[in-house]
Amino acid sequence: MNDLRFALRQLRKSPGFTFLALLTLAVGIGMNTAIFSLIQDLFLRGLPFSEPERVVRIYGESKERDLKQMPSSVPKFWHYRDGQTVFSSIAADWGNGFIMTGSGEPIQLLGGNVTANYFELLGIHPILGRNFLPEEESKGDVVMVTENFWRKRFASDPTILGHNITLNGVPTTIIGVLPNLPISWFGRDSEIFVNKPFEPSGITKDRLMRGVSFMRVTARLKPGVSVSQAQAAMPALLQSYKEQHPETADNTWSPYLVSAAEDVTGDLRPAFLTLLAAVSAVLLIACSNVANLLLVRFTGRKREIALRMALGAERRGIVRLFVFESTLVSVIAGMIGLGLALWTVSVVPKLAGQNIPLESGVKLQLPVLIFTLGLSLITGLLMGLYPAWQSSRADLVDGLKEGGRGTSGSRGQHRFRRGLVAGQVGLSVVLLAGAGMLVSSFVRLSRQEPGFRSERVWAGGIGLPPAQYPDPATRGRFAERLQTELQTAPGVEAAAIADAVPLSGNSSRSPYARADGNPVPVNQRQLGLTRSVSPGYFRTLGISLLSGRDFTEQDKVDSRLVVILSNSTAKKLFPNENPIGHQILFGTDNGNGLPAEVIGVVGDVRSQQLSKANDVEFYRPWPQRSAPFLNVVVRSATKPEATAGIVRAALNKIDNGLPILQPSTLDAIVTQSLGQERLTMTLLGVFAGIALLLAVVGIYGAVAYTVEQRTGEIGVRMALGAQTHDVLNLVVRQGMNPVILGLIFGLAGTFAVGRLLAAQLYQISPYDPLLLGATAIVLAVAALLACLIPARRATLVDPIQALRSE
Amino acid sequence: MGTNVFDSTNQQSEISNSIMNNGSDPLIRLNSVTKVFLTDEVETHALSGIHLDIRPGEYVSIAGPSGCGKTTLLSILGLLDTPSDGSYSLKGHEVANLSFADRARIRNREIGFIFQSFNLIGDLSVFENVELPLTYRGMAASERKSFVTGALERVGMAHRAKHLPSQLSGGQQQRVAVARALAGRPAILLADEPTGNLDSRNGEAVMQLLKELHQNGATICMVTHDERFAQHADRTVHLFDGRVVEDRIAA
Repeated sequence: MNDLRFALRQLRKSPGFTFLALLTLAVGIGMNTAIFSLIQDLFLRGLPFSEPERVVRIYGESKERDLKQMPSSVPKFWHYRDGQTVFSSIAADWGNGFIMTGSGEPIQLLGGNVTANYFELLGIHPILGRNFLPEEESKGDVVMVTENFWRKRFASDPTILGHNITLNGVPTTIIGVLPNLPISWFGRDSEIFVNKPFEPSGITKDRLMRGVSFMRVTARLKPGVSVSQAQAAMPALLQSYKEQHPETADNTWSPYLVSAAEDVTGDLRPAFLTLLAAVSAVLLIACSNVANLLLVRFTGRKREIALRMALGAERRGIVRLFVFESTLVSVIAGMIGLGLALWTVSVVPKLAGQNIPLESGVKLQLPVLIFTLGLSLITGLLMGLYPAWQSSRADLVDGLKEGGRGTSGSRGQHRFRRGLVAGQVGLSVVLLAGAGMLVSSFVRLSRQEPGFRSERVWAGGIGLPPAQYPDPATRGRFAERLQTELQTAPGVEAAAIADAVPLSGNSSRSPYARADGNPVPVNQRQLGLTRSVSPGYFRTLGISLLSGRDFTEQDKVDSRLVVILSNSTAKKLFPNENPIGHQILFGTDNGNGLPAEVIGVVGDVRSQQLSKANDVEFYRPWPQRSAPFLNVVVRSATKPEATAGIVRAALNKIDNGLPILQPSTLDAIVTQSLGQERLTMTLLGVFAGIALLLAVVGIYGAVAYTVEQRTGEIGVRMALGAQTHDVLNLVVRQGMNPVILGLIFGLAGTFAVGRLLAAQLYQISPYDPLLLGATAIVLAVAALLACLIPARRATLVDPIQALRSE
Repeated sequence: MGTNVFDSTNQQSEISNSIMNNGSDPLIRLNSVTKVFLTDEVETHALSGIHLDIRPGEYVSIAGPSGCGKTTLLSILGLLDTPSDGSYSLKGHEVANLSFADRARIRNREIGFIFQSFNLIGDLSVFENVELPLTYRGMAASERKSFVTGALERVGMAHRAKHLPSQLSGGQQQRVAVARALAGRPAILLADEPTGNLDSRNGEAVMQLLKELHQNGATICMVTHDERFAQHADRTVHLFDGRVVEDRIAA
């Protein structure tokens, strides 16, 4: 207690030191806590399932066809379900949208169709009501809603069970209320889950049984069965599936298992590893700065140390006292850092957009608290131990004689300080170079020509309830009428319909093959990205028609099947040939797919990722390949809100029971698609900025301290005839020596960590000499400025005063 | 001593050139030199109307009680400080109001300092310490080596050239400091209580060294409050309350 009181008094006595140390460490600890909190949220906390380590996802893959994370078809799921022996249960789901009517304005809701055992498999129990029953998979219209839905739309009505709501035009009975679900697994804003998982609307029974793949399969491992053991059992299961279902398109995809945790965070690992490394470096730099300050502070208390030792204190006791003081600083800084971290974490979801499945709302979790406390204690120990140990080597006689005047410290201390500066600079180089690479990469990515013009294009989704729009003909008529209404609306330059908007994350793929020659069997065909679009789509999005023609109103559901190819597709499938007039087989119908005639070629579009060109992309006329969900794209001179109004008005003329889902602009969709890159770049940029600032402060502090300690020497040099430039040279040279060493180490370090970053970079090498050179120059100039301020002060030393003080 | 040793260099300013080319008359002439220190409310007259001539080859000691202005006078003589009033000519040229850079240049070439606490730089070897003022002069390395070796030999410390100051006794350190003051072959050596930090035996040895230098032609101006050491000089100037109260030439 005495030590605590004394340490607090010491901190109060030097508010400058206390403020600087607290600020520096709070930033370091705060950034670490923020990143740990995100990592805890994304990777460590685990999904809120019962024994989540036993939950796996089953995907299909075909390495030779570059197919990964392929969903399952209905027959494949059934085969797995009935034939497997390694899982205690196996379930499936697929995402779906619902229009809820009958309670005021129609509302678009998100959710999915699940097998009856889905929530039970995950260990999610309803907070009200019950789970689905097995017989409800094929009959009965029942729904489970989330707690959010119940509270928001039913005002937490305890009698909600048994209520009927109209979903997609069908009265559906609420049988249970689920707790709110993790967005990393279920997606954002999922509120509604229905049964009937094997009856997706818009897909015929024949196509369903030919292996149309849309189901995500989730399984729970039997107790004692590992992921690899279960994986080993899958090939036999696939083999028997192939034998029993030789006609299915998906019988050649090898099944593979992914743990639930990895499934939701796999893509994010490299980015968060980078960020974790970056914040660790920031903390190390902060520790170095404070260790330097502590060394100065403790060395300056030689007299106190000597006095304590003269009174019988052991060296151990002195070290303990000082380490206690440094730990106290770090613990207080940790508390401030925690506040900083909470704020940072609250900002991150906004930066990340939809791309990172972060739960909204800032929650302080116990592991984060423990992490911060542990980190603060370790930080205090780390940075306090050496200064305390060094300072405790006081010479009793000298210490008492000097009357407490600060001394410059031993050669060992000088080396320690220079080492700290070199380390800080080295780490800062790595961080700055990393941030520079990500910024550079992001700039290139942002400037990447996507192949379409996103400006002034509004986009919004519309779900078509199967009850009213049961078949391609009704859906085709709806799309045609809507497009006609929109095209005649004032202010609209162009309007079109598509099943998915570029870069929105939605897409679908079909098996394809050239119809001429001997096409391979359907189950060995490549899958090609396929979009269903209406006439005018290319004009609306500014995609150039390179040859042939656009779709017209004549390309109807029952007319000759046609297709438009992207330029890359044309070159790939018809090298040195004119593709127009050729036929391509699509899908699985008739066991061999249906032939569609190539009628045009359009420019390439980066519709999946801005960083990656699609090697194959097909466009089919909407009426010939429609779905119960469509996107409207409108190019107009009006503001987005006004365009939304125009679309709403047009929609009301056709069907006023259809809500518009996720209205947005194409610009916003493009921006959103870079959410993860933006987050990594911004955070790393901030960390690098902080690192640079801390390093500069560290260099300044070290040089300023040296100048202060060497005032006498500088005075002597001036008395001996040193000119201003001689003194400047002396101070800057000595200040820059460890900086140069740090630059060399830092550049070497950048090469070493380049591999970690390489996968996250776009069109830029982690070893780009220009960028590395620029980083070194920025740091060298910053360090030079940090040296020049105390160096300038050194030139103002009054030699008489300096010599007198000696 | 006192001759122009820098004709071969071309870095000196016009003023220092002309100083170094004039070897006659008093080496130093102070005329009505006054130094007033201004603090918040008080004017302290550290020196009042000092007249002092020092001729080439003289060995002058400045004595007086603590606070009489000895060190202030030495600072002005060494161009570390400027007088508030009066004139100061060195080798016949007015130097009282030169710029910082010119004063530094003249200090480097014309004045050799010996401090009470030696003021050797701990991180530099004996050789490097002695070499330091020559480095600031821009002298070539080979020439520096010859000057430094000569100076160290004169004080009998050539054999310790590679040692650090911390490896030497106080007396040896002061000998090195004397070598540093001598190395540039200045017009005058200014010694501020050179024996103040030494025991009597080492103090006596340093005084003997200064005497030998003087006998070999060096002009020396030494501040001391120790009457025994003051007697080593040919001439003793007594200060009291910032004024010269006695200027006595030894018999």
